[in-house]
Amino acid sequence: MQPEDIIAAVNAVFVEQFEIDPADLLPEKEIFRDLGLDSLDIVDMMVGLQRTFGISLRQNEELRQIVTLGDLHAFFLKLVEENPDLAAKLQKK
Amino acid sequence: MLSLYLYMSMTFWTFAYLLVCALPAAVCLLLPVRWSRTAFRHLILWYGNIIVRIAVWPWVRVIYDSTAPSDEDDEGVYVFNHRSASDPFLIAMLGLPMLQLVNGWPMRLPLFGFFARRCGYIDTTKNNYEESRAKIAAALGAHVPIASFPEGTRSGSRNLNQFRSGIFKIAMELHAPIHPCCIVGNEYIPDRRFRFQAGRIHVRRMPVIAADEAASFGNAYLLKQHVKTLIQAEITKLEEP
Repeated sequence: MQPEDIIAAVNAVFVEQFEIDPADLLPEKEIFRDLGLDSLDIVDMMVGLQRTFGISLRQNEELRQIVTLGDLHAFFLKLVEENPDLAAKLQKK
Repeated sequence: MLSLYLYMSMTFWTFAYLLVCALPAAVCLLLPVRWSRTAFRHLILWYGNIIVRIAVWPWVRVIYDSTAPSDEDDEGVYVFNHRSASDPFLIAMLGLPMLQLVNGWPMRLPLFGFFARRCGYIDTTKNNYEESRAKIAAALGAHVPIASFPEGTRSGSRNLNQFRSGIFKIAMELHAPIHPCCIVGNEYIPDRRFRFQAGRIHVRRMPVIAADEAASFGNAYLLKQHVKTLIQAEITKLEEP
């Protein structure tokens, strides 16, 4: 699985859950300030990401530090690199 | 031309109201926080009523009705569809001093931002999920009704956009009843460029979804879809020719 596939999978959550224009999904965009999400939207973001990657993110402290979409991409790129089975799950989808 | 007139009228009534409420507002600032917030929410409620019932009349007429039983409890989370920037004013038609969940920018507006902050409105872009949840819990615990627009941002059309799950998850967790409400006819009052048209707006309060019933959906996704379906059905009824 290529890094761009993982990035596309993360971005797809924002398009599906929040109807954000894919052209706006740039790595430097801040999730709250630029993409218009608020703290209550985190529920939908987490559900979407959990469903896409087939993992539980509830207890993940690293996610709390994320500010930009690029941070989120980097988080999942690292997660998939450390857990190759995630890539396999994602490919099946 | 109509927009200019309505903005002038709203500005006039805003300053007239400010003159009248300046002294009570100053006294409210001296009260303990909880009382002060309650008093400011009433000041905002009355202001909203002046704007929607007087300042824009007769070009914009607002009708309010309720299909909920008259003895229904007012506590809980009120969920509205969101077509226009006039919605936060129109919810005053329910006659309840509600605490609104807002996404940042209303808190930064001159004058309005001051009142929103004094009311204790919850800024969901500034507070994280746990903080927002704790503030909502505190408000519900103090019997303060909560107003929420789960579409997140105004649609600017007759469309009902996707609902966000957050407020439904919190309502389920806090065992709070949900009051679906709909507002129709204001998609161009004002439009997304803040221009006004004359028209008739209908605000309707629908029967409550009791806390136990809300919990029976099992997850926030199913609950939000149910509430969205109810609101969509009511909108369709109200917009039937």
